[in-house]
Formats: sequence, C-alpha cells, structure tokens
Amino acid sequence: MKIGTVTAFSLALALAALPAVAPAAGNAENGKKIVEAKNLGNCAACHVIPNMEFPGDVGPDLVASMQGFTEKDRGTVRQWVWDARAFDPDTIMPPFGPNKLLTNAEVDDVVEYLYSIQKK
Amino acid sequence: MSRLITRTLILVACACWVFPLGAGRYALAGDGSTPPGIKEYKPNISTQEYEKRYKAVYGKFTEQMAQEGNPADFMLDDGKDLFGKVEGAAGKSCASCHGANGEKLKGVAATYPKYDPELKGIDTVALQINRCRKEQMGAPELKYESDPQLALELYVKSLSNGVPINVSIAGPAKPFYEAGKAFYYKRYGQFNFSCALCHVKYAGHMIRANLLSNNRHHADHWPSYRLKWGATGSLQRRFRGCNKNVRQKPEPFQSETYRNLELYLTYQANGVPIEVPGFRM
Ligand code: HEC
Ligand code: HEC
Repeated sequence: MKIGTVTAFSLALALAALPAVAPAAGNAENGKKIVEAKNLGNCAACHVIPNMEFPGDVGPDLVASMQGFTEKDRGTVRQWVWDARAFDPDTIMPPFGPNKLLTNAEVDDVVEYLYSIQKK
Repeated sequence: MSRLITRTLILVACACWVFPLGAGRYALAGDGSTPPGIKEYKPNISTQEYEKRYKAVYGKFTEQMAQEGNPADFMLDDGKDLFGKVEGAAGKSCASCHGANGEKLKGVAATYPKYDPELKGIDTVALQINRCRKEQMGAPELKYESDPQLALELYVKSLSNGVPINVSIAGPAKPFYEAGKAFYYKRYGQFNFSCALCHVKYAGHMIRANLLSNNRHHADHWPSYRLKWGATGSLQRRFRGCNKNVRQKPEPFQSETYRNLELYLTYQANGVPIEVPGFRM
C-alpha cells in the first residue's frame, strides 16, 4: 500500500514536470472514427460508448464519466487518453500516447469527441 | 473518481523536485519489466458467479454441444488405441507399463505439472509421454500438437476425469512456480497488458463480446475442441493464441516458460476436477 502511494506520488511529480500539453482543438467527427476503429482506439472494447455494438464493461461508461468533467478539465481528460497511468499506475487502459497507438493529433480528436458526447 | 483527480492535482501542485523525464517517466510502470515481489490480484469474481455468467453468455452453444457431442471424443478414442499400440525398439506400448486400460495412471494427471529432478524443471503430461516413448519404448517422440500427440495426452488426462487437480508447488517446484507467476503478471507490448489483468483483475467482465474467463478454470479442461480453430488443441496452443492477440511473441510448445506458466495456472485450479475433452468458443 505504501509503495502504491509512493508510486502514485512519483507519477504525479513526473506529470508536473511535463511540459503542459495545451490540448489543441480537435475534430470530433474524426475522433469518433478513432474511438470506433478496432486498430486505433478500440475504446468500446472496454467502455460503453454511444451507438457502439457489443461494448465491454471493463472501464466506466464514458457518457457517465464525462459528466464528471467540465471544460476546465480538458487537460485531465487528455491525460486519461494519452496515458492513464498518471492516475492509476496499475491501469489496464493502454498507454495510447507513449506507446504510439495514437498520435498527438488523434488524441486531440478523441478528446473533442468525448466532449461531444457530454450531456450539456 | 473526482477525488482521485483532486488528490493528483494537489500532489502536482506541491511538486518541488523534477522526476527525470523520458524513459524514466515510464520506468515505474509498464516498461515491460517485472516488478520484484509481485502482489497477486484477488480474484475479481467467485467461481459460482463466474459459472453463472459463463452460462448466460455461452450457455446456448454449450447446450447445443452437449446434444451434438464433442468432436474431440473421436480423438480420445484414437488415444485409447495408441495407448495399447506397440511401438519402438523395446517392443512395448504404454499399456505394457501402465495397465491395459491405463489403470495405473488413474488420477495421476491431476498431479501434473510437477517438478522433475532429472529435468531440473517442470514436467508436463505432454512432455512425460514423449519421455516415456523415448526412454522406455525407444519410439520416436511425437510432434507437439500433432493428432497422435494430442490424442495420447487426451487419453492419459481422461484417466483423471472427475479427480480434483492437486498440484504441488512445494520445495524445488517453488522457483518455477514463481517464474510462471512472474510471466503471468509481466506487462508487455504496445498495449502494456498482462495475462493477470484480463484473467484475474477483470475476470468476469466483458471485453467486447468476450467474457473474460476466470483463471481458476483455465487448466481443468484441455485439450479442448475449439470452434474458432475447428480443431482440438492444448492449453499451450491457447497460450500462443493469447500471446498473439495481445501482440506478444509466442513461445515454442513445451518451452520452459510455457511449462512454468502451465504449473502456475494449474495450481490456480487446484481442487477443480479434471474434465477432458473440453469445448470452447
Ligand atoms: C483495455 C481496457 C480499456 C481500453 C481499451 C480503454 N479504456 Fe479507458 N478506462 C479503462 C478503465 C478500467 C478505466 C477506469 C480507470 C482505471 O482503472 O484506470 C478507464 C478510464 C477512462 C477514462 C476516465 C473515466 C473517468 O471516469 O474518469 C476515460 C476518459 C477513458 N478511459 C477514455 C478512453 C478512451 C477515449 C479510450 C480509447 C481511445 C479508452 N478509454 C480505452 C479501460 C480501458
Ligand atoms: C486484453 C485481454 C487479454 C489478455 C491480456 C490475455 N487474455 Fe487470455 N483471453 C482473453 C479473451 C477475450 C479470451 C477468450 C474468452 C475467455 O475464455 O476468456 C481469452 C482466453 C484465454 C484462455 C482460454 C480460457 C479457457 O477457457 O480455457 C487462456 C488459457 C488464456 N486466455 C490465457 C492467457 C495468457 C497465458 C495470457 C498472457 C500471456 C493471456 N491469456 C492474456 C483475453 C486476454
């Protein structure tokens, strides 16, 4: 438990040391394609996402999740998609950014898509 | 959730020294290394609950199967014939040593894999059959995953059907068990997955249309007929499949890694009765 806390702490420090990734405006339409594509985001393998068949339930329903975020949280949402280990060192969510599963621009598009499914 | 984020933000705010960037940033998690002293996950789901879910998701198929019969049953019959067939320089068959109907092997497969002092490593049923052929019968070893090899393995295991798995990891077996566990928990590849994430931490969850199986039931039913293969195969063939699915390089059959992994998984199934041949999607 103690080790877990220390790890989380170190990761948080690492995060702080990152150059602030200002989330660029993405393209929600393209984001939707990335989220759905099995060879790109494949997010529905684990998450409930609107209009996707056979979603998994390994992660939370992303419409519900997005209710917990405001416009000010774009950086946080981006970090979840880029590399969720910043929040949960033992996450099952693949590190899309660092492991080059998605490019910077693609992650921006996914973030834009996530905000588009947010109930306003 | 928001509490976690708030806590992280607070930690970020009070950061006063710089953690090395670049490779160092990810060295803590997911660089493919195995953390020393792995903390095993608690099974996410009870056996009863998992079996209920399995029935709900796949029940239709398994019922149909039960009516039509398992294609692997034919292979089992072949295995029985092979068991009694004389082969090799010594003029013996398996039955010469183990009894006409394998009487002397009843329940034995339930104790495999096990440590073997001659191998200085882990012996599996498949490996032992080939050792017998070579050393006792003077017969050629059977190619792994070939029909006769699977048939004999199936027959020998069927002699333990209904017997609860009882594998030992005491004494010299321990380091091999630990190595199997380390492999099971090791993160690898672009997705940074480990076997344990899917089959322990999230067992019972759906990943797309697949129910993530509970590893307590991974070692009790192989060789199994698998619809996707349209063929009967071994547990180690299934290892290779999962390796490939998550973009990890598969190992050769009966490699040291796979034998250790088989020991680890079979130990997870201790107490579960052997039931071969199995049937899977
Ligand atoms: C293999 C499983 C898996 C995949 C694939 C996956 N996720 Fe996740 N995701 C999770 C899990 C599990 C969590 C819960 C937090 C944790 O344990 O890491 C999560 C959390 C999140 C969160 C934070 C939710 C919250 O409530 O704060 C977001 C946002 C998210 N995922 C978006 C995505 C997107 C977008 C994709 C695809 C590009 C994706 N995920 C792919 C498993 C996955
Ligand atoms: C991202 C998820 C994931 C990872 C990681 C994963 N598997 Fe699997 N595994 C599955 C799915 C999905 C199936 C098919 C449905 C089921 O039986 O769970 C499966 C099936 C299996 C089965 C057959 C289950 C049965 O009924 O006998 C075995 C054995 C297995 N996996 C072993 C492994 C091993 C060993 C590893 C690591 C090298 C591994 N898996 C990694 C998702 C995964």
